[in-house]
Amino acid sequence: MSNKKNALWHLPLIIIGIIALLPVIFMISNSFKTLQESYQSILSVIPNKPTIDNYTTLNHQVNLVRLVWNTFFMATLVTVGKLFTGLLAAYAFRYYQFKHKNLIYLLFVATIFVPFTIVMIPNYLVIAKLNLLNSVIGVALPQLCDATGIMIFLKTMEKIPGSLFDSLKIDNIPNRRIFFNIVLPILKPSIISVGAMFFINSWNEYVWPTLILKDKSSFTLPLALQNYISSEGGTNFPLAMALSSIMIVVPLIIYLIFQRYILNSISNSGLK
Amino acid sequence: MNDNNATIELKKVTKEFKSTKVIDQLDLEVAAGEFLVLLGPSGCGKSTTLRMIAGLETASDGEVLIDGDDLKKKASDGHTIAMVFQDYALYPNMTVYQNLEYALKVHKVAKDERQKRLTSILETLNLSDYKDRLPSELSGGQKQRVALGRGMAKKSKIFLLDEPLSNIDVQLREKARDEIQSLHDKNKQTIVYVTHDQLEAMALGDRIAVMNDGIIQMIDTPENIYKNPTNLFVAKFIGTPQINVLPVTYKDNYLYLGEHKLVEISKSSKIQTQTNYLLGVRPEHIKVSKESGDGFVTEAEVTKVVDYGKFTQVTLKLTSTNIIKAVIKDLNCIIGDKVFIQVEEKTSIIFDIDSQKNIYWDRV
Repeated sequence: MSNKKNALWHLPLIIIGIIALLPVIFMISNSFKTLQESYQSILSVIPNKPTIDNYTTLNHQVNLVRLVWNTFFMATLVTVGKLFTGLLAAYAFRYYQFKHKNLIYLLFVATIFVPFTIVMIPNYLVIAKLNLLNSVIGVALPQLCDATGIMIFLKTMEKIPGSLFDSLKIDNIPNRRIFFNIVLPILKPSIISVGAMFFINSWNEYVWPTLILKDKSSFTLPLALQNYISSEGGTNFPLAMALSSIMIVVPLIIYLIFQRYILNSISNSGLK
Repeated sequence: MNDNNATIELKKVTKEFKSTKVIDQLDLEVAAGEFLVLLGPSGCGKSTTLRMIAGLETASDGEVLIDGDDLKKKASDGHTIAMVFQDYALYPNMTVYQNLEYALKVHKVAKDERQKRLTSILETLNLSDYKDRLPSELSGGQKQRVALGRGMAKKSKIFLLDEPLSNIDVQLREKARDEIQSLHDKNKQTIVYVTHDQLEAMALGDRIAVMNDGIIQMIDTPENIYKNPTNLFVAKFIGTPQINVLPVTYKDNYLYLGEHKLVEISKSSKIQTQTNYLLGVRPEHIKVSKESGDGFVTEAEVTKVVDYGKFTQVTLKLTSTNIIKAVIKDLNCIIGDKVFIQVEEKTSIIFDIDSQKNIYWDRV
């Protein structure tokens, strides 16, 4: 009975899985086709004559290592920044009592709802004034703090019973120790999953880096990719698919390494 | 004052949350090495009092002194006070051993000393086999022992326990109680122990402070609290089955329950004729007989019988509204039996009907 039920559930899940996977398969398979074949049979899954020409051409046209490094550096900087500020802020909200705490927290959270298009121009002007245009730092700087992280980390920290903090207080354990020895290890699963989310978002970011990065040597992968699908660069479809395939490698590796944390939540981190 | 323990003194301590007074002008002295139990129903302010002694809450008014010194000076050293929490508050990311060791490590207790202390504690608490486990891999009783051990490891002068046994099985509780008792006998720390369980309080405390509504109702030895409670609240809070309370009138050397003569009272200036009182009698002090005479004058009807093995508890209907419980040992009763009861002056506690105070509370 329950097996039958499970089987029934599997059917829609399999269909959804296939739908989700199709674009990825499409991307990878086309990256191994010649330009001509991709025009003739763009939907075929297995290329007639698989070729790695697209990848070698890419390697000649752009500095792939540099691109991956730029993107990785920027995404790492943004992720570390967001995690660091988010954790510290959440800790302060959890551990300390101060005036207007709730109001301040509300203001933090409210920034989540401010659309990027509104802060885009002022941020650009600030970065320009700081002479940071065309630099990865310029891209990362306005993103080093993010209320989403504060909110998620505070919610997780609220699951740590107050008595734990009381106990540490009585034992006169300094804040630095509490933060690094107790809070961070407890929050490890959520730090990793939030971190992975930050990283992948930042890795894929396009609009903001386009505004800041003008010099091709400082381009990130999404910017370089744009060159292959825009009218000016001419649309070489298999080439764009090859670059896209390269682009997913790093997030995929990160996901594979940390998936057990990403799937886990604090509920199995040992509290309660 | 010595190395093992310290005195605690609360002077006119008041604690307000927003505008609600949780503790009102509380005075409390705990002697060095004493085991004091704070007992009371939930919300009576006992935990708040403990948290103020721990320095986790600041008194709105009044002083908390440790060894005669201001609490803030003493509490901030991290050595003077240890506390065990109801939910154990173990660090989930650390093993049992690391949990016990952590505070010592942070405060730079030498490694040899740490090892020596912890080995003996783990042995005392029967935790040696579990020292590498995480708290999530322990049972409630084991977690409770780890929490206890963590408090012990500090060798603090003051040991505060906030309902440490309320989350573990009843069967384990007695054992844990004995453990705490023997720890105190061995280490002679000053212990303040918060509980709402009167049996725990009676078993553990050198003295018990019964609290209600943010006020200490009575502070005395378990025996005195049981035998001679200051007021009706204390009398009702201590003792199972609960004390019987009957509305009585005093006249002609007798306390009358309605028309029935209940207790003969010797002359006293404290009790006045034609006045209403509340009479408190513990169930085990009510004598029950099937025959009348020889003091057994008040008739009653058995309405319920519960056999607990070592004793039987009967519910008796005296009048249409007055029902009492009595504990009998060598008498067989069934529901519907007519019996006669006797209440003696020496075991009756008489309360003023308005103030609910024991009119003889200073009697020894």
